[in-house]
Amino acid sequence: MADKHLYLSLIPQALIASMLKPEDFGSYYAIGTKVHVQGEAIFFEVDPSFRSDAFPFHLIDDRCVPKPDGSLKNSVYLSIYRVLSRIPVSALGNLYLVTNDGKTLELQRSEYQRDPSQLLHLYQEFCPINPMVASSLEPHEFSDFITNPDHPVHVPRLVFSQLQLGALATDPEHGSAQDLPYSNLEHLRDVLAELKHNQGKPSKLVLKQVHEGVIYRTIQGGFYVGDETDFAFYRFPERSALENQHRSWWRSAQVTGLA
Amino acid sequence: MNQLVFWIAPIAAIAALVYAWRFYKEMLQHDQGTALMQEIGGHVSRGAMAYLWQQYKIMFMVFMTLAAIFAVLAYQFHVQSTWLPVTFLCGGFFSALAGYFGMKTATQASTRTAAAAQTSLPDALRIAFRSGAVMGLVVVGLGLGNIAFWFILANLLIPAGDLGETHRMVLITTTILTFGMGASLQAMFARVGGGIFTKAADVGADLVGKVESGIPEDDPRNPAVIADNVGDNVGDVAGMGADLFESYVGAVLAASALGAAAYMVDPALQMKAIVAPIAIAGLGILLSIWGVYLVKTEEGASQKQLLDALGRGINSSAALIVVASLLCLLVLGMPNAWGIWGAVVSGLIAGVIIGRSTEYYTSPSYAPTRQIAEQSEGGAATLIIAGIGVGMLSTAIPVLTVGVSTMLAYLFASGFDASQMNLGLYGVGIAAVGMLSTLGITLASDAYGPIADNAGGNAEMSGLGPEVRERTDALDALGNTTAATGKGFAIGSAALTALALIASYVEVIRMELIKIGITTLELGHGATIPTDTATLTDFMTYYSVNLLNPTVLVGVMIGAMVAFAFSGMTVQAVGRAALLMVEEVRRQFREDPGILKGTSQPDYERCVAISTLGAQREMVIPALIAVIAPVVTGLVLGVAGVIGLLVGGLSSGFVLAVFLANSGGAWDNAKKYIEAGNHGGKNSRAHRAAVIGDTVGDPFKDTSGPSLNILIKLMSIVAIIMAGVTVTYSLL
Repeated sequence: MADKHLYLSLIPQALIASMLKPEDFGSYYAIGTKVHVQGEAIFFEVDPSFRSDAFPFHLIDDRCVPKPDGSLKNSVYLSIYRVLSRIPVSALGNLYLVTNDGKTLELQRSEYQRDPSQLLHLYQEFCPINPMVASSLEPHEFSDFITNPDHPVHVPRLVFSQLQLGALATDPEHGSAQDLPYSNLEHLRDVLAELKHNQGKPSKLVLKQVHEGVIYRTIQGGFYVGDETDFAFYRFPERSALENQHRSWWRSAQVTGLA
Repeated sequence: MNQLVFWIAPIAAIAALVYAWRFYKEMLQHDQGTALMQEIGGHVSRGAMAYLWQQYKIMFMVFMTLAAIFAVLAYQFHVQSTWLPVTFLCGGFFSALAGYFGMKTATQASTRTAAAAQTSLPDALRIAFRSGAVMGLVVVGLGLGNIAFWFILANLLIPAGDLGETHRMVLITTTILTFGMGASLQAMFARVGGGIFTKAADVGADLVGKVESGIPEDDPRNPAVIADNVGDNVGDVAGMGADLFESYVGAVLAASALGAAAYMVDPALQMKAIVAPIAIAGLGILLSIWGVYLVKTEEGASQKQLLDALGRGINSSAALIVVASLLCLLVLGMPNAWGIWGAVVSGLIAGVIIGRSTEYYTSPSYAPTRQIAEQSEGGAATLIIAGIGVGMLSTAIPVLTVGVSTMLAYLFASGFDASQMNLGLYGVGIAAVGMLSTLGITLASDAYGPIADNAGGNAEMSGLGPEVRERTDALDALGNTTAATGKGFAIGSAALTALALIASYVEVIRMELIKIGITTLELGHGATIPTDTATLTDFMTYYSVNLLNPTVLVGVMIGAMVAFAFSGMTVQAVGRAALLMVEEVRRQFREDPGILKGTSQPDYERCVAISTLGAQREMVIPALIAVIAPVVTGLVLGVAGVIGLLVGGLSSGFVLAVFLANSGGAWDNAKKYIEAGNHGGKNSRAHRAAVIGDTVGDPFKDTSGPSLNILIKLMSIVAIIMAGVTVTYSLL
């Protein structure tokens, strides 16, 4: 009997039980079985022993069983609404990044070290909301800030990544943005300049919603998940490691619907 | 001395074939790599051969039909050279044979290049370049070998008759000119069919593979990936080879015919003028072989060093042909040897300038392509507008260069006496020979491109290490540069060759008039002149070839229209063939989900077959238009209309070809420039716009643009072949 896995999908948000291993699940989730569903995905593996009254876990035993032909059950949806907020960070295992064509990269939890040298940051949020936000706070501080219930604008738990700013991180007005693929760069420059010169709000909205999906080449540091009390960091491999050790995934990750 | 110098040509042709064989055997001795590499290479090789056989089957039917028609016209109606049915078939056969050897070598070489790249960059470059040289040397070897053979045979079999030795020489050279017809028609099929195949596969593979399914380039899960790799060979090896085979043969034959006409006063001089272009082409072959040996590099070479390595071979051959051609002319004892040498040099320099101009307008190192990339920030519309603008502007230098080169060649060869039209036109013909004299090595650098490209694809699909891909990427980038300049060279040489062929047309008309019994030309006001001594100016007067004659004007307009209509057809053909490929790739993904998962292998051969059938179906009508237009124009508008047609076709076709090739090339490299980290880099809005521009430019630069080279030459050669029909049956 194959193991049963619990996966927390972030795009879209869902808690799914499956008999597939993470890599197989990633492939299935991105491209389906018969019709190419097509869609990049990000999901956590959730501790299989995690239980909560918030979800109908009994369905796992009832429905997450091999099919009549003996093949493994691909998915049993347990919830599709407000899932992240109901699963603690401590229950989250490895993070998986899946490309449009179903290639999966596994990221493990890493030790987080603050880097006070960078003054300005850019974040792409994935769940439960997905805007692009510029901030003067480093990732841990940003996570604390955005999940602080004392603030009028907050979320209970957040998954996000940091994006490269290049020269804009130090010189928002004049720094070269030649290799930055973000739309509306002038607005980004203005926002960063304001953050740099005015000591008011530590974070400002750049884009209400990111439509382009994840542009992996812009990821700096890695992925973060945090709430009021907890914080976890998933280091994204260096470019050389992507080129040499994860080349197949890396090549697919750069396609993003463009020829 | 004439005979001695003439023998340079057959000796050089044999040497070219011997060295081609040697390079081929040398390539075969190299390691083919892993089983997977061989399997991938095998798919590409079988796909390429399947395409060729399918094309040759259709060509066989077309050629046999046309040969039968020519035989009826020659033997029943006596309005064609009786040699035509045979020379026509031989021209097509040897052009196809060169394409076959080139493709076979290229497809076998790419696997071995990838395998060599596992250990050494110099070895990989050596295999790829010398395998490219196989194509170059086979083209010039078979081309010049045939010219020499047909000249010897015609010289033996064609009697002097009543008109004397000088007319016999004109008859010999105009007779062997018919060899160009077969080469020209084969080139049309190879270029149009190859162009449609390669872009249908490329666009189809990209649209479904990358855009819809998110599969990266050269991924074995993409059913069209092998067709895409086959397409590189079909378009840039077989297509380019056939194109330049025709230019080479056409230029040498036209120059010989013009030489025979220019020196009709003295049979001895006439022979020298005929031998000169043939011998210069022979010397060019020998220097090309020498140049191939100069192309070598060291491990870890930079892009510039690789480019220098290629440049060393090409430039050394070109520099030495300048000296060798002068010696050849002096040894032959040509009158005005220095002037004719000036014409040779003007052609050579024109080739270099056109290549540089192409590089300037299409390379991301220069302003025009960077400006297009900058416009991408405004979206696809502004990028496309910018690309069209750059493409249009890029026509200036090549057109002016060919114009200046033509004028200089004309003036040098005529001793700066503009009234010496025959001598001047001989200069134009020999300038085209100068440009193409070192084709053996310049074509090697063209054919090298797809070998390096396929080697990169093989390395990628076989999962070879990063250091291997680094080497194949370096070789591929070098191939992209040579491909762009090669296209410019092909267009420039086509224009100059077509010009020489148009001049030859009048000589053929002279022979046809004599053949049907018109021995005097009425020039108006009661003045007459014997046909056999009439000058080109007399013929222009006789046929009222002037811009106030509506027949000429209508011909010019039809010629311009044919170039545009032909381009439109070939662009649309790519769209239709690509759609077939898109549907097939979608079907395979839909019916076998294991393909995308990587658990089952796609049906590569089906995609190759679909692209092949699409290309074959779509190439026939454009090819027939190129054949029919001069015939119908000749029958309705007569000689004046045909000259108008050829001039209109050449002027608009040449400019349009440069525009299409350069705008497409500039869009392609603007995308690469953005991907290198400019204007937002990969995945940015600018990149999205650049991808659209690149896709629009694909059929421009790889199908319609190169096919126009053939159109302008094929129309000229058809006009020459059908001159007898025109003078006998034309309505006007």
